[in-house]
Amino acid sequence: MMPELSTLVNVAFVVLFAPLLDGIERRVKARLQTRQGPPILQSWYDLIKLLKRPSIEPSGSFGWLFRLAPAVALSSVLLASTFVPSLLARSMGFWGDLIAFVYLLALASLFLALGGFASCNPYAQIGSHREISLLMAEEFSLAFIVAGLAVSAGGLAFSAMFPLPLKASSVVGVLAFAVMVYVSGARVPFDVAEAEPEIVEGPLIEFSGRSLGLMKLTAYVRRLLLFTVLLNFVIPFGGVLRSSVYVAALLVLSAVYAAFEAYFGRFRTADAVRFLKRFAAAGFVCWLLAVLGW
Amino acid sequence: MGRSTLEGRFRVIDVSPDEVAEVVRELFEDGCYYATGMGVDERPLNGRFAVYHAINCPKRGVYVILRLTAPEDRPSVPSITPVLRGAEWAEREAHDMVGVTFENHPNLERLILPEDWPDGVYPLRKDFPYNRKVAGTGGTAGVRGERHDEATMSVPLGPYHPLLHEPEYFELYVREDRIVGADYRGFHVHRGMEKLAESRMTLNQIPFLAERICGICGCTHSAAYCQAVEEAAGVEVPERALYIRSLMLEVERIHSHLLWFGVACHLLGFDSGFMHFWRAREYVMDIAELITGNRKTYGINLVGGVRRDLSGEKIQKTLKLLEMAEGESREVIDNVVGMKELIARMEGVGVLRRKDAREIGVVGPVARASGIDTDVRRDHPYAAYGDLDFKVPVYRGCDVLSRFLVRIDETFESFSLVRQILENLPDGEIINEEYSLPYMEFGLGSTEAPRGEDVHMVLTGGENQVYRWHPRAPTYNNLPAVPLMLEGEDVADAPIIIASIDPCFSCTDHVSIVDAGSGRVLWRGPLLEGVERLRR
Repeated sequence: MMPELSTLVNVAFVVLFAPLLDGIERRVKARLQTRQGPPILQSWYDLIKLLKRPSIEPSGSFGWLFRLAPAVALSSVLLASTFVPSLLARSMGFWGDLIAFVYLLALASLFLALGGFASCNPYAQIGSHREISLLMAEEFSLAFIVAGLAVSAGGLAFSAMFPLPLKASSVVGVLAFAVMVYVSGARVPFDVAEAEPEIVEGPLIEFSGRSLGLMKLTAYVRRLLLFTVLLNFVIPFGGVLRSSVYVAALLVLSAVYAAFEAYFGRFRTADAVRFLKRFAAAGFVCWLLAVLGW
Repeated sequence: MGRSTLEGRFRVIDVSPDEVAEVVRELFEDGCYYATGMGVDERPLNGRFAVYHAINCPKRGVYVILRLTAPEDRPSVPSITPVLRGAEWAEREAHDMVGVTFENHPNLERLILPEDWPDGVYPLRKDFPYNRKVAGTGGTAGVRGERHDEATMSVPLGPYHPLLHEPEYFELYVREDRIVGADYRGFHVHRGMEKLAESRMTLNQIPFLAERICGICGCTHSAAYCQAVEEAAGVEVPERALYIRSLMLEVERIHSHLLWFGVACHLLGFDSGFMHFWRAREYVMDIAELITGNRKTYGINLVGGVRRDLSGEKIQKTLKLLEMAEGESREVIDNVVGMKELIARMEGVGVLRRKDAREIGVVGPVARASGIDTDVRRDHPYAAYGDLDFKVPVYRGCDVLSRFLVRIDETFESFSLVRQILENLPDGEIINEEYSLPYMEFGLGSTEAPRGEDVHMVLTGGENQVYRWHPRAPTYNNLPAVPLMLEGEDVADAPIIIASIDPCFSCTDHVSIVDAGSGRVLWRGPLLEGVERLRR
């Protein structure tokens, strides 16, 4: 298959499947809370409803930035999905690398925060502050992990990293990355930026209709891409079974992460940041092992 | 017939304006606190206005009612707020509603009436018809406290916020992630219940109205009202009825606490706990339905007794449901207590020092978590509590965690109380309808609601009516403590701190007639000063 075509298939898959994955997570959480839970397609229904509605701009906001933020956030995760191999292995001839991926995701977070600031709502200000603090703490841990994995794999290009060689450093690195996937997915207890009972969804508070839909879709796609990169580290490349193994593994991961989420309460921002700083030690171990050639 | 457990619950003392401050000071120093106060328009009787201050003396098991009067042409009495700050709201309320002026009150601004209510119109005076429409003066609603400086952001919490299920308004002043001050405005949703009850309801309709003061702890309000009337009219209540009242009050407490635990978990981001607590609570609702026919708002109390009896079969079923409710509650609570990050978020947060707690007159779990050993069930036994055996948990942490722990202990005490009641349920009648209502007799009924002391004062009107009814829900006494708890805390902790008093805003708001609602600022001017003033 031509690389352009397989890229298209991958992007379509990511966009269509991400809300579905969220629907499954909602269902898993509901079951753990002895609730029935919404239908699996519920996140899609919500999105469709939102996308049909107009967005309202709060008076006193920086209109252009407020309007631009959801579009930039979604574009950056979609751009990332063009070069991360998801359903099909070959994608865009592999011009991307892990650094580009990490930065595109950070760009999406940044624009979520900027959109929040632009709304001039006090809750959004607090939420955006929290989002940025968390982002910085995440980057700190991630830098070590990425560096460790790169040394371990002998390069930052996806072609070198997918899958990773079986070494102590890559095992530690993948485990640490799995935790970062959890954190970056804004899951409880790390959902401090949106904390609904505290600051009413933080940066998202003033977004409505279409722009809220785009923000939500961005969040779903982001979670799916994080899972995808994690899986690519371990799933053997190519082969007929890849697609089905990948989808099955996605479902399992998603259920496991949702289950974890059901068993935590929310951190305070400072506690979350402290946790992430400490967690950088794991990244450091990965890097050290890789440098030593293990 | 049975007996009344209410003998000697209160003493009404007429005090002269000159000595009232001294009397109050002595009472406070003796360990009493300000429970509630009401203004009464007694002009049809004696041409005077009266103010009743109810002061709870838990050690002596008595409420001291200080009665002050003032002539019609000069309705003014000395304020006791400078001596006991717990009286602040009650005096402002009497000023708003009856038009009594309190000399030397530090802040005699409107508390309840909206900003655009015309001056000199007092809705609880007897010459004010309940159905009179009052045109607003067109004043603006709510002047907000000013900002401190550029670095401080004011964060509105309410009137609609997912934390508050009722329209209330807190304004938080935030620098970075820290609260430097807090402001509270309430009384947005007055329902004018007092006026309604006094003007157009009969004696035995009011229990059902009283029950609707609160959607969570309604039974305790109807019980307190019935006790107040029984006390005024000297009604003997059959013993079986007293036991059934206690039974429903304890069922209500369990349900209310389980509800609160769920809400607390939700606010801390632990939604699984929220759902599991509410699942356990379902059994308690089933018990209520079995006994009264209603899952909530039981409608069981009448003056002189209760409306429904309990068969042996129902007792068996109740015991079974109770076992399930207790088992599941225990399991969920054990899990939650084992979650270090949840406990860490409650520990040392929202501190209310014992001294402040005493002066403000906070009640219930909030008081008991600040080291104050008080419980109406034990100090002023009512219903069947005199015969029952229970412990009153007291913690000294003064923080949210202590309030949480007090409620845990209380929940399991209540399970034990329900068992004791069901085992020892006496035989006999369930209602005494042979009584006549005297004219202008004072009665006071108080209960320990899940949120704390609940006080109803009644002046009977003879025939089939009450002349004056003044209910006071526990949140009314606990709310003024919240700005103190909030100061200096993390914004992330504001919801759990506000929730830690288990606020029930509509209970507090029921007290009088208000057209549409804007509250009024508690303090004008810079907020810090306001908090300072409240702390004084």
